[in-house]
Amino acid sequence: MLDSILVANRGEIACRVLRTARAMGLRTVAVYHHADRAAPHVGLADSAVELHAEVPTAAYLDVAQIIAAADHTGAASVHPGYGFLAENGDFAAAVEDAGLVFVGPQPEVIRLMGDKVHARAFAAEAGVPLAPSALMEGSFEAFLDAAAGIGLPLLIKAAAGGGGKGMSIVHDAAELEARARTAMSEAERYFADGRVYAERYVEQPRHIEVQVLGDGRGNVVHLFERECSVQRRFQKIVEEAPAATLPAELRARICDAAVKLAARANYRNAGTVEFILAPDGEFYFLEMNTRLQVEHPVTEMVCGIDLVEAQLRLAGGEGLPWTQDALSVTGHAIECRVCCEDPARDFLPATGRARVLRVPHGPGVRFDGGISEGQAVTAAFDSMIGKLVCRGDDRGQAIDRAVAALGDLTLLGVDHNIDYLARVIDHPAFRAGALHTGFVTEHADTLGVPVLDADARAAVVIAAALGVDDFRRLAYDIPEPYASIGAWRN
Amino acid sequence: MGATTPARFTDPAMSTSFPFTLGGQTHTLTIRARRPALVVEVDGRCYTVREHPSAAPGESTLRIDDRLHEVTRTRESDRIHVKLDRTTWSVGYEDPVTAAQHDAGGDDVLRADMPGVVVSLNATPGATVASGDVLLVIESMKMQINVVAHRDGTVENVHVEVNQSFDKGTELVSLHPNT
Amino acid sequence: MARIQSSIQTGSAEFRRHYSHNRALAAELHERQRQARFERPARDVERLARQGKMMPRERIEKLLDPGTPFLEFSTLAANMAYGGEAPGASCITGIGMIQGREVILCAHDASIKGGAWYPLSVKKIVRCLDIAIENRLPVVHLCDSAGGFLPLQSELFPDKHMAGRMFRNQSILSKMGVKQLALVFGHCTAGGAYIPALSDYSVIVRGTGAVFLGGPPLVKAATGEVVTADELGGCDLHTRVSGTCDYPAASEDEAIAIGREIVAQWDCPPKWDIQRDPIEAPYYDPDELYGIIPDDIKRSFEMREVIARLVDGSRFHEYQPAYGTTLVCGYANLWGYKVGILANNGVLFNDSALKGAHFIELCNQNDTPLVFLQNITGYMVGRDYEAAGISKDGAKMIMAQVGSHVPKFTVMCHGSFGAGNYGMCGRAYDGRLLFSWPNHQIGVMGGEQAAKTLTEVKLKQLERAGDAVDQATLDKVYNETLEAYQHQLSAYYSTSEVWDDGILDPLDTRNALGIGISAALNAPPLERGYGVFRF
Repeated sequence: MLDSILVANRGEIACRVLRTARAMGLRTVAVYHHADRAAPHVGLADSAVELHAEVPTAAYLDVAQIIAAADHTGAASVHPGYGFLAENGDFAAAVEDAGLVFVGPQPEVIRLMGDKVHARAFAAEAGVPLAPSALMEGSFEAFLDAAAGIGLPLLIKAAAGGGGKGMSIVHDAAELEARARTAMSEAERYFADGRVYAERYVEQPRHIEVQVLGDGRGNVVHLFERECSVQRRFQKIVEEAPAATLPAELRARICDAAVKLAARANYRNAGTVEFILAPDGEFYFLEMNTRLQVEHPVTEMVCGIDLVEAQLRLAGGEGLPWTQDALSVTGHAIECRVCCEDPARDFLPATGRARVLRVPHGPGVRFDGGISEGQAVTAAFDSMIGKLVCRGDDRGQAIDRAVAALGDLTLLGVDHNIDYLARVIDHPAFRAGALHTGFVTEHADTLGVPVLDADARAAVVIAAALGVDDFRRLAYDIPEPYASIGAWRN
Repeated sequence: MGATTPARFTDPAMSTSFPFTLGGQTHTLTIRARRPALVVEVDGRCYTVREHPSAAPGESTLRIDDRLHEVTRTRESDRIHVKLDRTTWSVGYEDPVTAAQHDAGGDDVLRADMPGVVVSLNATPGATVASGDVLLVIESMKMQINVVAHRDGTVENVHVEVNQSFDKGTELVSLHPNT
Repeated sequence: MARIQSSIQTGSAEFRRHYSHNRALAAELHERQRQARFERPARDVERLARQGKMMPRERIEKLLDPGTPFLEFSTLAANMAYGGEAPGASCITGIGMIQGREVILCAHDASIKGGAWYPLSVKKIVRCLDIAIENRLPVVHLCDSAGGFLPLQSELFPDKHMAGRMFRNQSILSKMGVKQLALVFGHCTAGGAYIPALSDYSVIVRGTGAVFLGGPPLVKAATGEVVTADELGGCDLHTRVSGTCDYPAASEDEAIAIGREIVAQWDCPPKWDIQRDPIEAPYYDPDELYGIIPDDIKRSFEMREVIARLVDGSRFHEYQPAYGTTLVCGYANLWGYKVGILANNGVLFNDSALKGAHFIELCNQNDTPLVFLQNITGYMVGRDYEAAGISKDGAKMIMAQVGSHVPKFTVMCHGSFGAGNYGMCGRAYDGRLLFSWPNHQIGVMGGEQAAKTLTEVKLKQLERAGDAVDQATLDKVYNETLEAYQHQLSAYYSTSEVWDDGILDPLDTRNALGIGISAALNAPPLERGYGVFRF
């Protein structure tokens, strides 16, 4: 068992990992950039080390400083969270080279799955279904021919990309070449690797992923699927476990495919295999994420387990905590990603200060937050500031609880998507489970900010006015008999 | 005596009012009565308002006519962030002096606060300027001073030339009114 | 305190006759006030609009706190003077509330002869500043005046309580530590330049506001210099160069907003804390006042019925109910404030005068403001009463009333004739506010009495001279006297001359007194002590 851990991350995931680590009795170390000095994760660890960098995000990408911090504090292990260095094989290797335990898969597996072209080839070998695709193995022209042969529409993706970044959909053969060239230069710019590949684009697909846990010796269990179909610009907004609707047989095939893939890689620790599910019931491998995912709590809530605890035990040398038979899904859980963005301005990230933050509670309600009340929300970091996860005995109850909890969640001082999320999950199409990755676009008209009638507008304005001291004084501090006489003229 | 009675100023309703902006629209609020309860007029309609503070700071229950609302709010200079029941809004409010200055267009002429000499000119008639743009540089009391635009606008006229000396109060640059 | 038991029969013919009479008087009052306040020649309204100026009442409405009252003084000042050319004496004064603070407003009305000051304008303005001094009320001046109305300069310039008194009063207010704000919307010419100069804070509107001891025409006549009003004394000159004005404003709205913000900075000194209970509306309907007041100046009425429709809960604690019954004395609450009321139920006798004097002393002992409800034809005359010392007794009442350190308020409810006016706190006796009802008449004696008296005098004259007594001559004397008196006895005449602070619809009396009492408590009690009572 590990005795100490450094969490190389920030925000809600750092808080979440630290909580479980503390509960397990580990000595905990947090790292933070100066911009995060008031952030909650700093106070949740036994000790904290400041990382130095001009740009705040760069601090959390600074391999040398992080390893030095672990060394300096005597932390025996490092948890990378998600994002930042979580899927950086070099980081994992550096951690292990430093004699520390990396809470995650082997560096070579990280690298394998990080290269989308290699990952696809590996999946094909594992017998996992793949969407028709074209790789850039020869000339650019040969690639274009092969891509054209996939059929339209198709998706051009960066080989070194992931998480929805660096992708574009091509609907028209005429734009294929131009798009391919743009994608290559973008890939070069963002991922330092200009390789791209093309893949059949499934219209109105659903995004189904499977949580897996491996012991690094070929034993893998799955913790069933999650559905993450509600997305915008390839970023997930709402996730749930289990999938909204899925025939048992199809579920079994998808989960088995995931296990097959992970087992073939001798996968170690936690990971997620992502699939595209087409309307016709065909499913295709998308990618494997060799880390804990943002939406892992929905799995935890329906399986009744703590994935971070499982990760830490596996990293500590223990075997898999459960056999496949011991795992089952009870009830339904929904997660909403709470982001500081302005729904009225195409969800552009918003900045401000979380002047008031009140978190909901109740049966089946869980909020994994990453900011404290009073903390500034800046453009330095990702706009997601927390996740609201609600569990119910069935999907309907989970949605009801989530709608209520979103209503109880109060964040004032920075624009956010909380009200929007409530409209999404309360939408009849969502409740009916009619999900696909174009959901928010399809229902954009009905998901917009509701138009208020005159009385509703007046209520908002009145509520606001009573927050202005000058107005309040005029309303309440007029002395008698003037207040009682009122607007009288003789 | 020929008599006219302009209706507008016989109406005690045109009293001190407060503009608030919501979703880009301005709504005017004024107080009509305070007893037995506060009556507030918003955009011409009256509402009876009763507020009961809650235990938590910044939270209260608001009864407007016969509707009950849960309110959480916080003020941040010219914005009030309000959560009314389940939805969050951002309402703009400008203190009356600033609001009146916006309506009036403010002062259109920049004058010298002290005697000096024009060092350089940046503004030309017709140029569009933003608040804070340096319009000219003057030297006075052995210091060089940037004369900046106090609001967005269009330059109407530049009244001085480079190397010209001027007294206190001299008009330096004027902006088009209401630009 | 028990509620007054009303015995008014609202269905009786007399009540109904009185009611329609007084309702008509009230309607006439409102109509005359409306005209004085709002009717202006089209060309004057257009001129102000062209100049980008608001009408003065619009400025006032925007300055005052929303949903609060404005007690306006002497709306009908000068209504029977200057051929009716100067309604309201071309100014608007009163008590209002700005940012929760009680203030005196004094606004020039430039829609009348450019806001020029007639003699009665000066009197009205001096009066409102006197009110400010006596009650320690901050003053907001809304300046927009062409200065003194030159054709009548001898009546508004040289004497002690004429134009100079305005600036003397401003200086005294300042010496007392009472704040003044001047909002310069138009011209402050000649003496008017002293208004902002003597104010603690001043705001001036660019383009229309100007302050100068001599305006452009005078300057040109005096030195030949040709200069515009703005160049001579405009906003930028006075806010940047001379320091005469403190805040430039680009518009009247901005000036008003700045003015309100200035007042919001003022501290609120503690007020004199007198006895106060929760507020309660009168039990009886104040509307019934119309039916109680007679339609004939010679007829009396039961003052307790009036009191019942003015005071909280219609409750009244009567003092010496069995003695001096022609003067009703007692305590009541008015808008929560405890007050001592003296009200006439007939002529004043020895006992009623003594009762009045004693009750006034009790109210001073108790720090209770006094409210005088006048309906007095005088003291009882006759040898028996003189022998009993009625002159002394009347004098004692005056002595007590004048020696009061509590604020005094007077309402002329009906007649105010002769010496009775004095003991009951007439105009000369420094009541904080004095109001009349539309039916009120005031004079040394009533019109008919005067006409009879002077006819009698004429008759004696003719008899001594040995001339023939011609009924027609006597009738002429009688009628002409009556007519002259009627003209000068009426409430409209006295309000025109600013002998009162305004005519009130009887229904507005309660509000006016409530505001008056509240305003008065901004001043500490006066010096205690009475003169010598001739016992």
